Amino acid sequence: MSAALATSLLETRGTANELGAYVVSAAFDRAGTQAAFALGDGTLRLATLAAPGPWSSVAAHDGAALSLAPDALPHGFISGGDDGRFVRVDAAGAITELAALGSKWVEHTASFADGRAGFLACAAGKLVHLFTAQGEKLKALEHPSTVTGIAFDARGKRLAAAHYNGASLWFVVSKTVAPRRLEWKGSHTGIAMHPAAEAVVTAMQENALHGWRLPDAHDMRMSGYPAKPESLSFTRTGKYLASSGADAVVLWPFFGGGPMGKPPLELAQMENVLCSRVACHPVDDVVAAGYLDGSVVLAEIASKRVLRVAPAGHGPVTALAWSASGSHLAFGTENGFAALVDFSRKPE
Amino acid sequence: MSLVPVTVLTGYLGAGKTTLLNRILTEDHGRNYAVVINEFGELGVDGDLVVDADEEVFEMNNGCICCTVRGDLIRIVNGLMKRAKKFDGIIIETTGLANPAPVAQTFFVDDGVRAKTRLDAIITVVDAKNVLDRLADSTEAAAQVAFADVIVLNKLDLVTPEELATVESRLRAINRFARIHRTTRSDVPVTDILDLGAFDLSRILDFDPDFLEVDDHGHSEGVNSVSFEVSRDIDPHKFQQWMGTLLQEKGADLLRTKGILAHPGEDRRFAFQAVHMIADGDFISPWPEGSPRRSRLVFIGRDLNRPQLRRGFEACQVSS
Repeated sequence: MSAALATSLLETRGTANELGAYVVSAAFDRAGTQAAFALGDGTLRLATLAAPGPWSSVAAHDGAALSLAPDALPHGFISGGDDGRFVRVDAAGAITELAALGSKWVEHTASFADGRAGFLACAAGKLVHLFTAQGEKLKALEHPSTVTGIAFDARGKRLAAAHYNGASLWFVVSKTVAPRRLEWKGSHTGIAMHPAAEAVVTAMQENALHGWRLPDAHDMRMSGYPAKPESLSFTRTGKYLASSGADAVVLWPFFGGGPMGKPPLELAQMENVLCSRVACHPVDDVVAAGYLDGSVVLAEIASKRVLRVAPAGHGPVTALAWSASGSHLAFGTENGFAALVDFSRKPE
Repeated sequence: MSLVPVTVLTGYLGAGKTTLLNRILTEDHGRNYAVVINEFGELGVDGDLVVDADEEVFEMNNGCICCTVRGDLIRIVNGLMKRAKKFDGIIIETTGLANPAPVAQTFFVDDGVRAKTRLDAIITVVDAKNVLDRLADSTEAAAQVAFADVIVLNKLDLVTPEELATVESRLRAINRFARIHRTTRSDVPVTDILDLGAFDLSRILDFDPDFLEVDDHGHSEGVNSVSFEVSRDIDPHKFQQWMGTLLQEKGADLLRTKGILAHPGEDRRFAFQAVHMIADGDFISPWPEGSPRRSRLVFIGRDLNRPQLRRGFEACQVSS
């Protein structure tokens, strides 16, 4: 192996920092100017992509930050914490409290924006709280048990929430108070929406995925994982669903009749190391994957070619995100290591 | 990384759980605990880190009918592990009517929880004045006593010595293997109830003051405990087959099973434990120098057929 191949993209194109606390989540703002890392010490660390200076620290939560998403506005982020607060952090690091939800943890946040409309959402306990892009409270959606994941569809029409024994599908602006219930017995621990709203998929406690084809709610069962598939990500067009929970990136085909009865595609296999996070590229059919040993790779789906981004050694990858244009990848680990990799510029 | 010890606190409403919890949190022991309280808590609990939980029990889709798990605890434990400010242990308070099995099983079943924490002990607070009534009118009270590694027998000031003797003999009939602390206002030293390692395989059956005491308590109905000891080594295949079938068929009634086994040609002791149908086992330290390689097995459960269990265990021995 040549010396050039042995170096990782992190060395040639990356900026890394030791942040000293569990990296819970990473996100980019919608304008593509900043990245944020939410940490177990309650801070958000903000990195400006154009300026490779030190990252700023914002004390957003008293306790741990548990969830992070881009704001519905072009700049800034929203985050939730185990202090029961749902906040907005602007590009300068100024904090606005959107909701204080008492003793319940704000474990999930999501946002939607398409230029005309925008929504913010957070889940705390059994409730999903919905806000306008400006931060005005619209309504609270109640579920039969604690909400374990939320996702907007690609048009911002619907919001899906995972909970025990299934998921609920809500129309965001509808005045009707009842959701459509998608039922499947058991503990659902995460959720993803197909980009063309053809399916809702949840992660399950029993090392499997469950899906409901829309609109007929036909059940889809995807199993065989050695560990819990905690991380789910659809490719841009929804052709594949990428998932963690195996020693490779597991991609289920969502074309030609769906995933039932078909073997999944497995990419970027690592010997005895589980994949912990996946994130599909927003433009190309490429998936980024993080592993429990700290390594991060990119895999091109058509060619199955694998590109190493970061070597093992910085702790289990717990956060992974692409910028909206796909020019930057952010990742972070349980040990507090965080990095940004720039794919837009030529390597020095 | 060392695993964070988790203590489960059970007991009927009014038994003194909250008093004990507040004692743990306010006593000057220099340790920090995260406390998970339930929504029906009796009184306020003061502490650095108090988490409000809804007891969300669900059944695993693994073909095991009694394999129920606390999903809320899986979320909370994973969330707590993200915190930068570390703590020395987690204490989980259950509601008065809770069956401890789902809590215990959570620590066997979920890989993420197992990777970060270890179940230390189940503590059951019992009200000496009312426990006999509770045992008579509910199944949960017996389950709480049966699951206990430690029983805090509280409110002694409300009973006569004779009543206390009756209560203790009833508790012993259900669970002979728990340590009993007698208290008036849940005033037991924190060091006696936290960080005990009661679920630690290497310490299984360490505490058995009267292991081979002949038990003819006459409580053939309801929850009780039985123990066996055999002198020949245990054939691991025979044991696995017998125990597998037994847990499959009787797991719903077998609340806890623990054993220390001598395998042929193996210096180390094999420690085994199960909560209902979920079993766990591993080799631990060698048999102590000079002590006989005698395999022991304990069952705590309902409707235990003592002769049948003994014959089953004896049949697992290697041929003499």
